[in-house]
Amino acid sequence: MVTKVLNWINYRLPIVNTFERHLSKHPVPKKVNFWYLFGALASIVLILQIVTGIWLMMPYSNTEEGAFASIEYIMRDVDYGWIIRYMHTTGASMFFAIVYLHMFRGLLYGSYKKPKELVWIFGATIYLVMMAEGFLGYVLPYGQMSYWGAQVIISLFGAIPYIGESLEVWVRGDYYISGITISRFFALHVVALPLILIALVFLHLVALHEVGAGNPEGVDIEEFVDEDGVPLDSVPFFPYKVLSAMPAIGVFGLVFCVIMFFFPEGGGYFLELANFEEANPLVTPEHIAPVWYYAPYYTMLRAVPDPFGGLIVMAAAVAIIFIVPWLDRSNVASIRYKGILSKIAIVMFVVSFITLGYLGTVTVTETGKIMSIICTVMYFAFFLLMPIYTSIEKTYEVPKRL
Amino acid sequence: MIKPLLIISFLSFIFVPVVDSAEGGPCKDYGDCDQFKPDLNNMASLQRGVGTFMKYCYSCHSLKYSRWGRVANDLQIPEDIFFEYLVPDQDAGPYDLMVAPIHELEIDNAPPDLTLVARKRTSSWVYTYLRAFYDDSSTTYGSNNLVYPGVNMPNILAPIQGNQKLGCKEVPVLAKNGGEKRDEFGNTITKEKCGYLKHQDGSGLLNVEEFDEFIYDLTNFLTYVGEPSRAERERMGVYAIIFFIIFTFLSALLYREYQKDYH
Repeated sequence: MVTKVLNWINYRLPIVNTFERHLSKHPVPKKVNFWYLFGALASIVLILQIVTGIWLMMPYSNTEEGAFASIEYIMRDVDYGWIIRYMHTTGASMFFAIVYLHMFRGLLYGSYKKPKELVWIFGATIYLVMMAEGFLGYVLPYGQMSYWGAQVIISLFGAIPYIGESLEVWVRGDYYISGITISRFFALHVVALPLILIALVFLHLVALHEVGAGNPEGVDIEEFVDEDGVPLDSVPFFPYKVLSAMPAIGVFGLVFCVIMFFFPEGGGYFLELANFEEANPLVTPEHIAPVWYYAPYYTMLRAVPDPFGGLIVMAAAVAIIFIVPWLDRSNVASIRYKGILSKIAIVMFVVSFITLGYLGTVTVTETGKIMSIICTVMYFAFFLLMPIYTSIEKTYEVPKRL
Repeated sequence: MIKPLLIISFLSFIFVPVVDSAEGGPCKDYGDCDQFKPDLNNMASLQRGVGTFMKYCYSCHSLKYSRWGRVANDLQIPEDIFFEYLVPDQDAGPYDLMVAPIHELEIDNAPPDLTLVARKRTSSWVYTYLRAFYDDSSTTYGSNNLVYPGVNMPNILAPIQGNQKLGCKEVPVLAKNGGEKRDEFGNTITKEKCGYLKHQDGSGLLNVEEFDEFIYDLTNFLTYVGEPSRAERERMGVYAIIFFIIFTFLSALLYREYQKDYH
């Protein structure tokens, strides 16, 4: 009976083939390490964000008067509203943490090398959309930090010469941040950007499955295949890949629950303390800091004295990620077989990125200013010098089999 | 790949302390806030806290996001007793918000709502602030606060706490390396430093320890009301964590078993 129904559907819609091709029988490299688990975790968090988001949307009020109070209503009067909200806020931070690790994996093992350029570009676009999505969501509770954070970010548009001021008004929909701004940010946060995000994730995965997943050795497993065309060094996605992801999901769930149940504020980094006060346009908070996941770019913005220059540097820092596939001239993909220059470069990159992140969350000091300039230069040097150091260094020979 | 990561984390630590935050702490002139550890399962403390709040704070401060019935229920106070002895408004019902009469008047510069004060400023701040009032004849109300200099609030708890003034005391002089400076005989060199709270014993209804206890209960209540689900959250968290530990363990075993197929 089940086979009959399945056959009936499959004749009209290729669900069985698609399922086998992309899930059950999809070949994946048999030997990968923990860095390869973050993609799966990211998709779990995406689903979590969508589901909790739908629930939060029901009691949330997208008005100037009601937004802040409706969050407290969720926290107090909605049954288990607090757990749904904390899942969403913890999920947002975890999403970025995972995506940063996922992207770092890409840099480590050359997950952008031919023919994976498009996979990388779709991924970078997902990251870009996520930054916008995170910002919009951050404004919705309409606390002090939401208001003043939005003020800072929207005023960035104002730094653009000639069109800046009118662009600023166009983005806000008003001459200052108001209920109109909240309700349009709400629409973008819950409908527009999630749709784009889901479409991009779909493309990211389709492109990935077309060219095949990578591995830490940078070995092309497609070179040795059996008579059915299945790579010899691969295992089917189900059950092997699913089972290898399970313990990771367990550990991730553990970390997630420790944060969500015991440190939902994340020491003021996941939920900022100033955001427990309703937005007040008349009182500027003592210290405006972005959430931790934007902090590196915020530091770059502050490192440049001119606001428009800062905006350009910040935009360039994100844009440069997109062209990495064409910056890396190395004949090997994985850091394991690259030369010493690449290894030094990637360590310097991580140090600069973490330091930039730290500097973005604290008040500016003189030493901090100098440090932020040094680290911004280091960040760009990693990318801009890549064509040079990857082509002059001596690489090691990559094994044929995994 | 472990080695470079170790180097990375090591280097990050070198970079971090260079740029310490320049501003003072949240407790301002008081120095570091006194640490407050809430005990949200201590019903007696929370019940005393809500009593204090209703008696001394509620005439000026609302808890406008909280509802009467929820508080009575969470603090295990029977509703009839709660409404008879604690709620001044005769018309208030369990589903009404705890809005103080002063806030129904819509006056400018009204005293702030305190529902989220312990979340916004931390419980330790509230605990320190409420104990840091001192006599200061230069202000409107004749009192000031070390934690919140120039605060526009009278020292409402003065009769209970008694007189507190600013005084001076001898403190050790610190050397550049952070240690105490000593003279050639090994005695610590001290200097007089002012701006410390000095309490006049016996001037209030409670002594210092009793007053600290009193403020502890009030702060405990304000911590509760900032996030009424916190106790439940922490209870549930334990089960969630146990679940994920078992889940991880079992799935790791299963993974090991299946891995034998291709290794």
